[in-house]
Amino acid sequence: MGPSNFQLWGSFAKEAMDASMLVVNFFCFLQVTRTYIFNAASVSGPSMLPTFSLSGEIVLVDRISLRLGKISRGDIVLVRSPENPRKVITKRLIGIEGDRMTFAVDPRRVGDDRKTVTVPKGHVWVQGDNVYESRDSRTFGAVPYALLQGRVFWRVWPLEDFGAL
Amino acid sequence: MLSQKLRLQQWRSTAKNVADRALIVAKFLCFLHIADTYLCAPTLVHGPSMLPTLNMRGDVVLTERVSHRIGNVGVGDVVLVVSPENPRKMITKRVKAREGDRVSVFGDGIWGDVSRSFVVPKGHVWVQGDNPYQSRDSRIFGPVPYGLIKGRVFLRELGIHT
Repeated sequence: MGPSNFQLWGSFAKEAMDASMLVVNFFCFLQVTRTYIFNAASVSGPSMLPTFSLSGEIVLVDRISLRLGKISRGDIVLVRSPENPRKVITKRLIGIEGDRMTFAVDPRRVGDDRKTVTVPKGHVWVQGDNVYESRDSRTFGAVPYALLQGRVFWRVWPLEDFGAL
Repeated sequence: MLSQKLRLQQWRSTAKNVADRALIVAKFLCFLHIADTYLCAPTLVHGPSMLPTLNMRGDVVLTERVSHRIGNVGVGDVVLVVSPENPRKMITKRVKAREGDRVSVFGDGIWGDVSRSFVVPKGHVWVQGDNPYQSRDSRIFGPVPYGLIKGRVFLRELGIHT
């Protein structure tokens, strides 16, 4: 007499449990790595031309330098948008707290007036490389440091441009 | 010769034991981190800015991390916010107004000496401590981007006061 139905179901259930525990473990490790070490992200849009193309690129984002406070002027950063908390945008960090930022209110108009702003404590100033098509700190002001989500350090896709940023 | 081989085997099995245990600890810490970040976590809060709701010397509260991710934080909720003045500090305040609401401020802080009324911008909330005399909040540093909210306080654990 072979194994009963009950025993078959029992072993099947055990296998399913083991497999799903493996999946859960994997996702936990992945999530911890993504939060503390590094993350992959897809960036797209016109605001960072010519650094990033319109059609979208895949980059690696470093989370460690964020926690150690080692982000400096010139870094490309991922920022949670202060206008829409569900959106994460890519900009370049131009100024840190205490810097006086001078910028043209509308770069399309020749001879337009300039504004000067001091970056408050605990904030950073971010700007897109394409100043004509970018909503950034010139629009929504300096951004609190805690809204930064990581520093972009490596481009993975497209493969022709694989390398450090 | 035999004893050398035996010792090597012993080392190998000890190392395997240690690795297994370390893996269990690592898995447990991962679970803890996930629960802490995405579900709910006990937090110690202290300071005078939320008197009389929260104790000055310290209260252990349970904060849930779900509502702010689904946009469920509303007026009247006590929330944990990363301070816009110091990104290493977490502060506890009550949400007084959401985006689009009109707020009036009287004197003090960055607004100068006049009373002003303005609208909370899109993507921001206005937070204030329950103790307005001893609280650095939106009256001083302005409306706070929603992305700085890290959790909502929903339970105070009793029996901590000695």
